[in-house]
Amino acid sequence: MAYNAGTMNLGEFEHVVLLAILRLGDDAYAIPIREEIEERTGRAVARGALYTALDRLESKKCLRSRMSQPLPERGGRSRRYFTVTQAGLSALRASRRSLLSLWHGVEGRLES
Amino acid sequence: MTRRNCEAPPRLAERLLAAVLGSGDWAESILGDLHEEYAARAAVASHRAAIWYYLVALSLIGRTLLLRARVARTPSVHVGPTPPRGDSLMRTLGLETRHAWRSIATRPVLSATIVITVGLGLGANAAVFSMIDALVLRPYTLRDVDRVALLFYDRPNNIDRQDSVSAADFIDIKRQSDVFERLSVFEWWTANLVGIDEPENVLGFKVSADFFATLGVEPAIGRGFRAEEETVGRDQRVVLGQALWQRRFGGDPGIIGRAIEIDGAPHEVVGVMPGGFDFPMGAQLWAPQAFTPDQATNRRSTFLTVIGRLADGKSLDDATAQMKVIGERLTREHPDTNRDRVMQVYTLAQGMGDMGAGPILAMWQASAAFVLLIACANVASLLLARGVERQREMAVRVAMGASRVRVVRELLIESGLLSLAAIPAALAVAWASLKLIVAYMPPTIARFVAGWNEMDVDPRLIAFTSALAIVTALVFGLVPAIQASRPRLTETLKEGGRSATAGAARLRLRRGLVIAEIALALPLLVAAGLSVITVHRFLNGPQGFNPDGVLTMRLMLPEVKYPTEESRTQFASAAVDRLLAMPGVTAAAAANVIPAITSNWGRNFEIDGQPIANPLDRPDVDYRVVTDGHFDALGIPLIQGRGFTAGDRADTQPVAIVSQAMARRYWPDKEPIGARIRFSEGEPWLTVVGVCGDVIHNWFARRNYPTAYRPFAQGPTRGMALVVRTTGDPNALAGPSRAAVRSVDSAQPVYEVASMRENVKIRTVGLQYVGGVMFAFGGLALVLAVIGIYGVMAYMVTQRTHEIGVRMALGATRRDVIRLTVRQTVSITAIGVAVGTTLAILLGRLIEAGLFGLTSTDPRLVAGLAILLALVALSAGYLPARRAATLDPSQALRQS
Repeated sequence: MAYNAGTMNLGEFEHVVLLAILRLGDDAYAIPIREEIEERTGRAVARGALYTALDRLESKKCLRSRMSQPLPERGGRSRRYFTVTQAGLSALRASRRSLLSLWHGVEGRLES
Repeated sequence: MTRRNCEAPPRLAERLLAAVLGSGDWAESILGDLHEEYAARAAVASHRAAIWYYLVALSLIGRTLLLRARVARTPSVHVGPTPPRGDSLMRTLGLETRHAWRSIATRPVLSATIVITVGLGLGANAAVFSMIDALVLRPYTLRDVDRVALLFYDRPNNIDRQDSVSAADFIDIKRQSDVFERLSVFEWWTANLVGIDEPENVLGFKVSADFFATLGVEPAIGRGFRAEEETVGRDQRVVLGQALWQRRFGGDPGIIGRAIEIDGAPHEVVGVMPGGFDFPMGAQLWAPQAFTPDQATNRRSTFLTVIGRLADGKSLDDATAQMKVIGERLTREHPDTNRDRVMQVYTLAQGMGDMGAGPILAMWQASAAFVLLIACANVASLLLARGVERQREMAVRVAMGASRVRVVRELLIESGLLSLAAIPAALAVAWASLKLIVAYMPPTIARFVAGWNEMDVDPRLIAFTSALAIVTALVFGLVPAIQASRPRLTETLKEGGRSATAGAARLRLRRGLVIAEIALALPLLVAAGLSVITVHRFLNGPQGFNPDGVLTMRLMLPEVKYPTEESRTQFASAAVDRLLAMPGVTAAAAANVIPAITSNWGRNFEIDGQPIANPLDRPDVDYRVVTDGHFDALGIPLIQGRGFTAGDRADTQPVAIVSQAMARRYWPDKEPIGARIRFSEGEPWLTVVGVCGDVIHNWFARRNYPTAYRPFAQGPTRGMALVVRTTGDPNALAGPSRAAVRSVDSAQPVYEVASMRENVKIRTVGLQYVGGVMFAFGGLALVLAVIGIYGVMAYMVTQRTHEIGVRMALGATRRDVIRLTVRQTVSITAIGVAVGTTLAILLGRLIEAGLFGLTSTDPRLVAGLAILLALVALSAGYLPARRAATLDPSQALRQS
């Protein structure tokens, strides 16, 4: 199934994950991603849920990943760094657009 | 960011997770992430980090398996990290796991019952395992602890099997051996610390200069001892324990180099040990061991514990072999002192561990296993009942082509999941029990139990509990699974399972299970009863003295300040006078040793006219030096002759009083009064002037042991206990008594100030633990057995509703119905109790051994508990029977 970036729906959590990766820039692997989300949103993120979301986003071509050199502090294992692809950026943009248009006109009601 | 990389996560958890994740980039990155996070956490608290790792690994394993199940069901959607393509077994297993979850979730009450039952059983086992792990398997947390060994003399003829080593022997051993990298000694030292606030008694040890190096620890600040400080005159140095340093000196690092007053002499503080180091036995003060020229050549007086670190490449066996050679050589060269000394090498855990703890903990573990078996029987019984309900489901599946293996496997997975779900409950039970156990232990005892404070829920406990949970699942799940997978196809599908005979085999099985429960519960109840009775007897039974209304305290006079016998006698009589002057006090005394305290003093003696050449062959008695008020203060009856008086002074005729047991053993058909005894060649002959009652000094090793008493003035000691008898509450005298002693010598601390009742209680605290834990196990077993009986009976009645309806329609009375159902309970109970009684008598033997032979299996107790269990079982079976009898026959027939 081919995803059309313009029409693809991002789940809320996927949305959050993509934004966190964008914010982190070059340092985006699972541990800081999770910390970033927990710090910004104030809610706990299950590791399993994060790995599943990352895998799903990668298979949707919203993310690209590369493995680092093996590191001693990880028991000789590599880190998996993520970058948001063009498709990912488009999906974020589309998602933002739809949300903003839905928000339009209702902000006032939520303020009180 | 610098993260420590030396810390590796728990291997077992990491391997399990790696196995589930498989290979590939995802697995590598996930394991790497966890490793990285673990290292960061371990840098703060390694213990917690390990628990964290286990929990995260378990949750990831669970999630991965579930995701795989979903993948297997709908393979077109790609979800989750590295689905096991081509791995059909894993996929099937995942699918079956999902099925099993669903099946569990549809019966929440049943599932919860099973989880709680298994959780209780597993929890009991986990708690006992944790104690065994902390107290027996790994009581010390020192570096390379298995390279540290202890040397003792084994004396086959001695009650205290392990004996300490003499200074002269130690010097020879150190010179002649090469299997140890370091060899050092330690000796008990009751130190009186003076200054700042009230004088205080501190548990200290005199140690060799390289004692700390032998153990592989270094002072946190300052230094340890130097070799030249092992000489008399230069040995007035101390190293403080962290806790003492914080409490007494406010953690001031400036203490290094300053002198503090101990035992009436200044000692320079040279170092402070790191927190948590209190080897041995909760020590808080260490000073160099300096042998006087006398000590260095003395082989008779054994007071040193030898501890060594094995040299590289040498094993414990090498050490044992070499020590045997050296020991034999010493025996040859010094036959008069070393004749029946056999040198033995122990690991630290063996040498320092409590000899009694092993059998008791083994008894507990066996009892916990019984409880778990009962829980398994209960769960199996529930699952058998559930199997009947699911007959149709199973029949359909088999008819649709599912193999029996597959059905059994799926049911086993259900059991496994239930059992795994019980792990958190089990850990909670274990945690709560351990907290309770730790809290109940008086700190005066806890500090002597190595590893006591290490008991906690840790990764090893989680691993043990998980493994046990899996075994448990097999035990309770296998038979019901096989039963359930054998439905009578045509019958079940056609009938909807009405036939009463279809469940007959199952019912037989369930009855068997209940019989097993009763049979297992009875021995546990008997064990509990025995333990409780024994504890009660120890606490409240006759002691040979009257422990009510007595306050006791101990003190140790420093050698420097009280060098002469006169000075000690003077102190004791002054202290006793001040104590007697307090209002409400009817008697007071000083003694070297009093009943129910931790120490004892035994000496060899000979009777005038019956010479024994070798001192080692002379019989030994408990040796007491007491002031004249001793017998009144403790309420020990004088049976014959006279007591001591103020007239028995150092310069009057040396006298002694012997206990009844001593009189009976050594003067079996003669009058002891007027006989003369002597404790060693250099000492005067003592004339026996009286016979007093026997005393239980210590319930475990010293009951009514032959005892000789001397007037304090004729053999004063530095270490002594003071006793005060009052007409009021002895605890109210604690403050005034301390003040009374201070008014004699303001720098003299007293310690272990407690009522005699409290002392007796503390001395039997181990036994109270045995009783308490066995009582808990017995209660648990009873509750589980009752639930089991009720379940089976209630189920049987439901199954037979139709039959009962028919019988009642044909004229059976309620009484007949009750008789019909109760008969079943009676037969089950009778068989269970019969088997249980046999087991109880066998287990009773084990308990007798575990309780140091202090008790015997009373047939009345066994009979009483058997009747109690039978009554409880019968009432559990009677309730469903009554319900059956109140059935309306027409409804009963319609219902079925």
